[in-house]
Amino acid sequence: MSSPLSTAPPPAPVTTPDQPPRRVRRGPRSARVLWFTVPALAWFVVFLVGPLAAMFVIATLRWKGLIYEPTFVGFENVTRVLADPVFLAAIRNSAIQVGIAVPVMIPLAYMLGYHLYTKPRGYRLLSVLYFSPGLISISVTATIFYGVLSPNGGVNGLLSLVGLDSLVTPWLADPSTALATLIFIDLWRGVGWTAVLMAARLSSIPGEVLEAAQVDGASRTRVMWQIAFPMVKSYVSTLTMLQFLWTLFTSAALILLLTKGGPGNSTTTLSYLVYAKAFSQQDLGYSQVVGVALLVVGIAGMFLIRALLRSDLEDER
Amino acid sequence: MTAQARPRLRRSARTRQAAPIAGALSWLYALILALPLYYLVVSALKTNIEIFTRPFHLPSLWLWDNFSTAWTQASLGKALANTALICLVAITVTLVLAVPASYALARSDTKVARAITGAFSAGFLIPPFAALIPTVILAIHLGLFYTREFQMLFLPASALPLSVLLLTQFMRTVPSELVEAAAMDGVGQFRTLVHIFLPIAMPGVVTVTILQLLTFWNEYLFSLTITGTAPDVRTVQVALPTLISDSTNYGVLAAGTVLTVLPVYLVYTVMSRRMQEALTAGAVKG
Repeated sequence: MSSPLSTAPPPAPVTTPDQPPRRVRRGPRSARVLWFTVPALAWFVVFLVGPLAAMFVIATLRWKGLIYEPTFVGFENVTRVLADPVFLAAIRNSAIQVGIAVPVMIPLAYMLGYHLYTKPRGYRLLSVLYFSPGLISISVTATIFYGVLSPNGGVNGLLSLVGLDSLVTPWLADPSTALATLIFIDLWRGVGWTAVLMAARLSSIPGEVLEAAQVDGASRTRVMWQIAFPMVKSYVSTLTMLQFLWTLFTSAALILLLTKGGPGNSTTTLSYLVYAKAFSQQDLGYSQVVGVALLVVGIAGMFLIRALLRSDLEDER
Repeated sequence: MTAQARPRLRRSARTRQAAPIAGALSWLYALILALPLYYLVVSALKTNIEIFTRPFHLPSLWLWDNFSTAWTQASLGKALANTALICLVAITVTLVLAVPASYALARSDTKVARAITGAFSAGFLIPPFAALIPTVILAIHLGLFYTREFQMLFLPASALPLSVLLLTQFMRTVPSELVEAAAMDGVGQFRTLVHIFLPIAMPGVVTVTILQLLTFWNEYLFSLTITGTAPDVRTVQVALPTLISDSTNYGVLAAGTVLTVLPVYLVYTVMSRRMQEALTAGAVKG
C-alpha cells in the first residue's frame, strides 16, 4: 500500500513544489542503518500487528468473558453472527451512517475549503471555528451533545423559542431520530475540520493557474470544480478514505456515551457491536468475528473509494 | 507600505468573483458549530432550571460554584495529572522509537527499507480500535491491566506509523553534502543522527509532538477499557463522562466539560499556527 502521506500537503520544508527536496545520498552502509528501525518495528509488531492478528484467532473461540478458559469452535461463531438479526441491523446502521456522512461531508468540506482558500471576509474567525472540533475529544463532544440534545436541552429549547414546538423530540431516545442525530454529530465535527485541511492543500497549488482561469472568464463554480478540484483530487481521495475509516471504526465511543446502541438496536453500528459484545455481553468470539468483518469492510471500502476517486493525473502538481 | 499593499492586491484578485451564497452558507455552518459551544459555556454557569427554561440566555446569576463542584466530583485534578503523566511518557517513548527509525528510513532506499515504510503506511490506515479487545488481553497477560503504564506503552505504538512517516519526510531534507562530510570525517551513525539530522528535522519533531500530544490527550476508548475508571488512574477524558451518571446536573456537567477542554484551547491560542500546521500535516483528528 502506498503511503497516503505522499498525497497529503507535506510539512513545511518539503512543501515548495518548485524546490524538490534533495535526497540524502545513500552510502554503502544504507542497509546496516536499518537496524535503527528495529525498536520501532518491535513495538509496532507487539502492540499493533500482534493484537490485529489475534483477532482472527479469537474469532474461532468460544470465550464467555475474559476470566474463563476459551475453547476452539472453528467457524461456529461466524454462522452464529451471520444468523443474528442484531448483526444485520448493525451492518445496515453502519452502511447508513457511512453512506450518508461521508458523501455529504466531503463535497461540503471541499466547497467550504475552497471558500476559505479564497480568504473571504472574516476567514480567520471561520477557520478557528471550523478547526475547533479537531481539538475536542469524543468524550467532550458527547457531553456537549448530551446537553444539547437531551429532552430539555438546547435544540428543543431553540425549537420552542421559535415556535416549532411540534418538532420537539427526545432526539437520542427516539428510534426514528437517533441514528440521524448521530450522523449529524459526525457532520458537525467533520465538515469544518476537513474544510480546513482542504484549504491548506488548495493553498499549495499555484494561485496563478486559478487567477488565469478567472481572468479568462471562467465562473467561480467552474474554477472550483473543473480546475482546482482535479489538481487536489488525490488529496480529496485520501481524506475521503480517512473520514470513511474514522466514521466506520470510531463511532463506538460516541455511541457508547450517548445511546448505548439503542433505543432498540437503532444505533448499533458494527464498531459498537464489537465493543458491546466483548465488554457488556461477554461474548468475545462473536465480538471478534464482527471485528474481522469490520476490518474487511474497512479495507474493501478503502479500495472502492480509491477506485472511484482515482486521479487522472498521477501527481496533481 | 508596499509590502503590505501587495498581499492585499492579490487577495482582491482572488475574491474578485464574489460568492454571496458560499459566504452565507459558510457563516451558517459556523453558527451551527458555535451554538453548541456557546450553549456549553453559558450552561456551565446556570442552574438546571435556568438551562431548561432559558437555554440561550446569559445566566441571570453566574453560578461559579458549578466549576468547583465538577472539579471535586469528578476529581478532575487527579485525572488531569494522570493524563499529563501518560502524555509525557508516551510522547517521550514515541520520539525515542520514531526518530532513529525515520533516520534509517530516510537514509536507506533498499527493498527492506521500502517494505518497512509500507508496513508503517498500512498501520496508519488501520485504526487501532479494530484490535481493542486483543489489546486488552495483551494488557492482562503483561500484568498491566487497569494501569497507566500499559497506556504509556501502547499509545506510542498507535502513534508510530504516522510519526515515522512524517519524520522520514523531514529527515529527507538534510542536504547530502552534510552527510557526505560527516561520513568522510568518520562520524558514526548515532552521532550523525544526533548532530546533523536531528537539528535539521527539529520542526518535524515539534510537529509530531504537538500532533501526538493532542491525540494522546483526547484518547478515550482505550483509556476507558485499559486504564479503567478507578479515580486513581483514570484520565480526564474518562473522568468527564462520569459526571453524566453521577448527577443530572447539566450545569456541573457543562462546567466539567469546559475545564476539560480549557487546557487544549489555552495551548491552541498560544501556538495556533503550529498546531494547525501539525494537524494539517498529520491529516488526523483525535
